[in-house]
Amino acid sequence: MGLDVPAPEILRARADALRAARGWLWDQGFIEIEAPALVRSPALEEHLEALPAGGAFLHTSPEFALKRVLASGLGRVFAITPCFRGEEWGPNHSVEFTMLEWYRIGTGHEGILEDCEALVGAAAAALGQRLPPFERLAYAEAFRRHAGAEPPEDPVEADRLWVNDVEPRLLAPTFILDYPADRCAFASVRGAYAERFELYWGGLELANAFTELLSPDELRARFAHNNAARIAAGRAPYPVDERLVRAIGQHPRAGGIALGVDRLIMRLVGASDIRDVRVLG
Amino acid sequence: MANVYETSDFRNGLKVLVDGQPFSMIYFQFVKPGKGTAFTRTKLKNLLSGNVIERTYRTGETLEAADCEDVEMQYTWNDGETYYFQNTETFDEVPVSKQMMDGAEDFLTDDIIVNITMFNARPVAVSLPNFIEAKITYAEPGAKGNTATNATKSATLSTGATIQVPLFVETDEVIRVDTRTREYVSRVNTK
Repeated sequence: MGLDVPAPEILRARADALRAARGWLWDQGFIEIEAPALVRSPALEEHLEALPAGGAFLHTSPEFALKRVLASGLGRVFAITPCFRGEEWGPNHSVEFTMLEWYRIGTGHEGILEDCEALVGAAAAALGQRLPPFERLAYAEAFRRHAGAEPPEDPVEADRLWVNDVEPRLLAPTFILDYPADRCAFASVRGAYAERFELYWGGLELANAFTELLSPDELRARFAHNNAARIAAGRAPYPVDERLVRAIGQHPRAGGIALGVDRLIMRLVGASDIRDVRVLG
Repeated sequence: MANVYETSDFRNGLKVLVDGQPFSMIYFQFVKPGKGTAFTRTKLKNLLSGNVIERTYRTGETLEAADCEDVEMQYTWNDGETYYFQNTETFDEVPVSKQMMDGAEDFLTDDIIVNITMFNARPVAVSLPNFIEAKITYAEPGAKGNTATNATKSATLSTGATIQVPLFVETDEVIRVDTRTREYVSRVNTK
C-alpha cells in the first residue's frame, strides 16, 4: 500500500524552509498568533467558498483574526495555519492548504514588499538557494508585455486573459504592482490604484499583500458589494464580522500579506503538484 | 433542451460542441487568481479536422454536449488508404480514412473490436482496446552479454507497428502491448 505522503527529503526541505521563515519573523519582532480555524464570519469575498462546520465556517484565511489582534495593540503579528477553500482543486490547489500571513503597523504594502523578498530569500537560503532580486512589474504593463494588450475593462475577461497569457509567463520571482482601483479587494485605494501587490514565481501566484484599509465605512461598503455579488451569482452571502469593522481604523497605517506556503515550497523544491509537498487527509 | 456540461463535469474524453463543431476534451486544469474568478483551462481536439484549440471557461459557463455515440465495430480489411469496420449489431460497413485512424492502424489485429465515435452518423474517431496481443514478425537479435535491465531493441509486430522491446524477446513470440503508449507490457505464454 502506498502511504500517500510526499518524499522524506521534500518534507525535510519544507520543515527547513518554514523554520527559516518563522525565524525571520521572530527576528523582526513579529508575535506568532494561533488564529482560529473555526469562525463565524469567513473572509467575505465574492470568489471564496468557505466550508460550513459546526454551525460556523472553517476559515479561508487568518486575515480577519490577525487584523483584530493588530488593532488590539500588538504592532507586528503573524500566523502559519491550515486554511480551507471549497471548490478549489487541481495541481496548484487543495481545499486544505497552509497560509503564512503577517501584518505590521507603520508601513503600507511597500514595506511588506521588502519583508516578503527578505522572508522568501531566508527560506530559500535554508535550502542552499540564492534567489535573484525580485522583479517589479505594473499590472497593466504585465498585460502589455505578455498578452500584447491593455487589460480588459471587464474584470472576468481581465482574469481570463491573465490566467491564459500573463500568469504562465511570470517565471522569475516577480511583484505585480499598481492594480487598478476596482481590483482593490480589501486594500486601501490611492488615486487610480489599489495599494496592493501580488508575488508570482514560476507562473504561480504565491502571495497577495495590502496597505490595510483604515475606514470602517469603506470596509462595510466593500462587504455589502461582495455580498451583493455573491447573491447575484446564486451563492450564499456571509455574515459581516462586526468586530473586524470595529477594529479597522483603531491602528495607524498598516500593511499585511498572505503567502501560500505549499506553493512556495513547490517552487523551492521544483514540484509541479501541491500533493508532492503537503501531507493531505 | 440540449445536454450541457458544467466546468465541474469536465474530464478527458468529454465530447462537446464548440461553434457547431464536435470536439473531444484532451486536457483540463482548474485555475483561479486568489482575488479573482475561477476558470477551467482546456485543450479541445476537433473530431473532424484533428486541430487542437485552447479554451478557458469561467465556473458557471457551460459547454453543449456533442451528440456523439461510441459504437463497437469489428475490423474487416483495408486497402492501405481506407480501413473498413463492421457494426457488430447492424452489420453496416463503416469506412475510416487513414488520417482519422491517427496511428491506430498500427495495432489492428484480425477481427479486433474497436470503439468508433459517431457524430451525425459519421465516424469521427477510433479507440483501440487499451491492450492488444500480437506476434513479433521480426526482432533484432539480442546482443549477448548485455545485461542492462532497461536496454531495448526494435521489434516489428504482425499488425505492422514497430516498437521497443526488451532484449530477451525474440521473433515469433506473442507479446502484450499498451496501445495508448505504444509500449511493450509483457510476453504472452502461448504454450
